[in-house]
Amino acid sequence: MLSELLQGTDTGAVLIIQDSCSYSGQHLLKSFISAALNKEEAVHVLGFDVSEEELKDGLTASTQRLHFHSAYTDPLGWTNRTAFTVHQFCVEELTHLLKQTSHPKPVTLVIDSLSWILRHVSPPAVCKTLQQLKKGGAVRAVIGLLHADMHQRGTVGSVCHLATSVITVAPGTKGDEAVAKTTKRSKSGKVMQDEEIFSIKGDFSVTVVSKTSHAGHRQTEPEEHQTDPTANLTFNIRLSDTEREAKEKLALPFVFSKEKKTALLQSGPGSGRILYEPDANDDYDQEDPDDDLDV
Amino acid sequence: MFTELNSILNATPDSFTQGEFILVSDRQSDASFLIHHFLSFYLRSFSHYSAISQSLGLIFQEGLKESLSILIPQDTTTGSQAIGCMSMSSDGGGEEGVEEWGPPVLLVDDVSVLLSLGVSAGAMLDFSHYCRATVCSQLQGNIVTLVRCHREEAEDDGSDGGSEWLLKGLVHQCSLTLHVQGLPTGYCRDIHGQVEVCWRRRRGDGQHTQKKLFQYKVHNKGASFFAPGTSSAVL
Repeated sequence: MLSELLQGTDTGAVLIIQDSCSYSGQHLLKSFISAALNKEEAVHVLGFDVSEEELKDGLTASTQRLHFHSAYTDPLGWTNRTAFTVHQFCVEELTHLLKQTSHPKPVTLVIDSLSWILRHVSPPAVCKTLQQLKKGGAVRAVIGLLHADMHQRGTVGSVCHLATSVITVAPGTKGDEAVAKTTKRSKSGKVMQDEEIFSIKGDFSVTVVSKTSHAGHRQTEPEEHQTDPTANLTFNIRLSDTEREAKEKLALPFVFSKEKKTALLQSGPGSGRILYEPDANDDYDQEDPDDDLDV
Repeated sequence: MFTELNSILNATPDSFTQGEFILVSDRQSDASFLIHHFLSFYLRSFSHYSAISQSLGLIFQEGLKESLSILIPQDTTTGSQAIGCMSMSSDGGGEEGVEEWGPPVLLVDDVSVLLSLGVSAGAMLDFSHYCRATVCSQLQGNIVTLVRCHREEAEDDGSDGGSEWLLKGLVHQCSLTLHVQGLPTGYCRDIHGQVEVCWRRRRGDGQHTQKKLFQYKVHNKGASFFAPGTSSAVL
């Protein structure tokens, strides 16, 4: 699902990349920017976390259509020398900002990062702005980076609830691999989830290494994956067909089968016989006292 | 300056990455030996030793006095004065001939003191962001910050205030973190603790976040770093 999201987002899409201290989502965000530029979309970046040089560093796609609105040097407006401040994050100001660079078609807005805005603007206001941006107009799609461990769970939940897709990234087991858990909500209301292992190359292209199967959607693994324990031994413990038949025919020593009972009770030829002459005092019962035993 | 740490960080006083924000943190341990390392590392990279140390000390003390009076009232309009102080100190260095010395280095020891004095963690993050924008990006200098964490109980995730939250925020901003902790197995006479070095925001080759874990021992002459399980007392 990660590759599908990279290839294109629908109009009115809001994509949130959630990261944490253990793995930065900055590179994945750059991958999305690179993919959008390669599709010849106009991309506007609200840069709070990183400077313009740092964001453009390594991007091989043509940066002609990339417009960086720097909120890095002065996000709070202390020195009045920045293009964008945190307090300008509302639909009117954003539309005004985007219309300054004229484009025939709506743009993709990238926010790096939403955490900066959420620390200074109340979450309801941020959610309202995102919802209004979602409805369309100057902005076609919004991609935002959110540091999930910097905010309360309620705030993160509210913002992600607005999103049409949420990608949560975490470090993988190998050095340059990471795990992405994607949740996508389609317009019909269907929710799809996926978990993939991916790695990002030097040119910010994403390679999905494998998909980890999640419970409830796949069958249990087929039996042929079981390893054969009789392989790779220095001795032979396999059975041929005749040996297998003989094994199955063998009666186990302490299992009391019907054949054994009759063999014990009826003495064979040549074996000892017991002759019993009851005495006058003996209480001889002809019945077999062991008949009621269920053996 | 610890030569082993230099090779771990792939840096020498003659060549080190500029524009780096290095975060040193500790939890129930003492990472000030790393601050001593960075202090002597950067001092060694400047040509005029004694003149620099005096002026660096002076700039830092002024910064502390100014920042306390500005950050505690928590009035956003006075934030510009903090930035004025920052640019003043960097220009002060420039007036005396910054070409001879190289890019500036800001060493903060330690940020948690300001937290305990009543400055909010949010204001601290804003301030460190502005420091990074000025020192790292504009002046191509380096910042080394020490933040100390205490294991607090009932730490609400994402709550604005604790040193843990401040640490997370600073980790997101920085390019290199060195986290010092005691050994998880307890006290050891020959191994004083472990250091986790984590490279973030790597440019050029290798886009991934790289983490390395070392154990260390501090002695009179410095500190030695070794891979876990290879302490000289064990081998």
